[in-house]
Amino acid sequence: MRLILEVWRQDGPDAEGSFETHEITDATPEMSLLELLDRLNHQLVENDLDPVAFESDCREGICGTCGLDVNGNPHGPEDNVPACGQHVRSFSDGQTVRFTPFRAKSFPVLRDLIVDRTGLDRIIQAGGTISVDAGTAPDADTLLVTHDDAERALDFAACIGCGACVSACPNGAAYLFTGAKLAHLALIPHGKEERARRARSVIAQMQSEFGPCSQIGECALACPAEIPLVAIAVVNRERLRAGFKKGKPN
Amino acid sequence: MSPTIQERPDLDQIPVAKRPATSPPPRPQTWILKVIMATTGSIFILFLLFHLAGNLKVYLPDDPQGHFNEYAHWLRTLLNPLVPGSTFLWAFRAVMVLALCLHVYSGLTLWIRAHRLRGRHARKVHSTKHHLTGRTMLWSGLIILSFIIFHLLDLTIGRAVESKEFSTKATYTLHDGTVVTDAYSNLIHSFERAPVAIFYVVVMIVIAFHLSHGIWSIINDFGGTAHRTRMVFLFLADLIALIVVIGNASIPLAVLAGGLTL
Repeated sequence: MRLILEVWRQDGPDAEGSFETHEITDATPEMSLLELLDRLNHQLVENDLDPVAFESDCREGICGTCGLDVNGNPHGPEDNVPACGQHVRSFSDGQTVRFTPFRAKSFPVLRDLIVDRTGLDRIIQAGGTISVDAGTAPDADTLLVTHDDAERALDFAACIGCGACVSACPNGAAYLFTGAKLAHLALIPHGKEERARRARSVIAQMQSEFGPCSQIGECALACPAEIPLVAIAVVNRERLRAGFKKGKPN
Repeated sequence: MSPTIQERPDLDQIPVAKRPATSPPPRPQTWILKVIMATTGSIFILFLLFHLAGNLKVYLPDDPQGHFNEYAHWLRTLLNPLVPGSTFLWAFRAVMVLALCLHVYSGLTLWIRAHRLRGRHARKVHSTKHHLTGRTMLWSGLIILSFIIFHLLDLTIGRAVESKEFSTKATYTLHDGTVVTDAYSNLIHSFERAPVAIFYVVVMIVIAFHLSHGIWSIINDFGGTAHRTRMVFLFLADLIALIVVIGNASIPLAVLAGGLTL
């Protein structure tokens, strides 16, 4: 398969970036999009050129490290699949494929396709700690969680923090990410003592770096962990609940 | 004996793990603005439904002019004799103006915040309904805002854009002998102007777009997470939008088609 790759190249956060066009003549349909970039880098190195900087780690959809926009879609043309799980077979022979870094003001480009996603880490840090019994391991079944709640909490805990929701959002909002974290911790007894305090600080932190939500729903269509759109309503539910708690931590 | 904390003022100086330095959230906080938009938006939706119920009196058989004018008179004298004259009407108008100011202020502030945080590269978007209606909320909102001003000038105040037959003095005698202002004739005269009637119809479609996304946003902004409630709101959003557009837009069309006359 022959593909034309248009790749965003940017030397550093303050550098002016531009697109670079390359041709790959030996792409195969079963290649993942990351393998396509590997192939490109191979070619660049062979020709004594700088390889394209992009992030990847597990390449099996569980780490959330890979993150780039392909033809303007977070992770690639398929919905709800991380870049490592998307394949060249989505494109036709001779097609132009454009790779750009995740699109959001809150994700400044570090180099080429790598963006700084520490804004999401700061949201997690703002959440602080949760109270759990330390010391000897508790007896089994001392902390009861119903099956349904456990399953639901796990659905929200599936978020891998890749940042595709922010890139998908026309407003650069991190509501789906923040909502997934708040929803997962609100459903289980661990961290119950800090529920209101966590909502206040996490949402304040989210607002200081990310945009407001307009309920458009692009985030849930991009999310490789399939976090449901209801997560965005959890943000306001938790914040309103915390408001009625008048400064109490739980 | 080890010194107590009171004897060791230097303990205050020991650096402890600090939260990372970040800027405070912009004020008023985004979530508060969203709740304000949802609250004032809910007021407007209730208002629109009551307004529509009043408008539809033009379709009542036997003297629609009387029914419509009677209703208009009832609005102006609502809660009499508990409060004198048009006290309720003016209190209601004050609430609506305040709600409108808050709604527009919050909407613009949120739009500016969203616009600042948008990234530089072009995106391919899913062509979902909420994409169309959600992305155009500011523009539909601004059109509706200008329409509100036009509508007040046209049929309430009677300045600049009113029909040449407009009058706040013209009266109509109800069957019980009460003499009331003839709001009905102002309405008919206004809609007999074709460009104005078409403008009203177009704006109703814009309002339907705004409502369809706005009602869906309300359930999210109030933090409604129950699946069934969310589905009900998703359905209500389109239903109310349809009712408002069909109910209201039919009146100027009916006047143009000659179905409603004095």
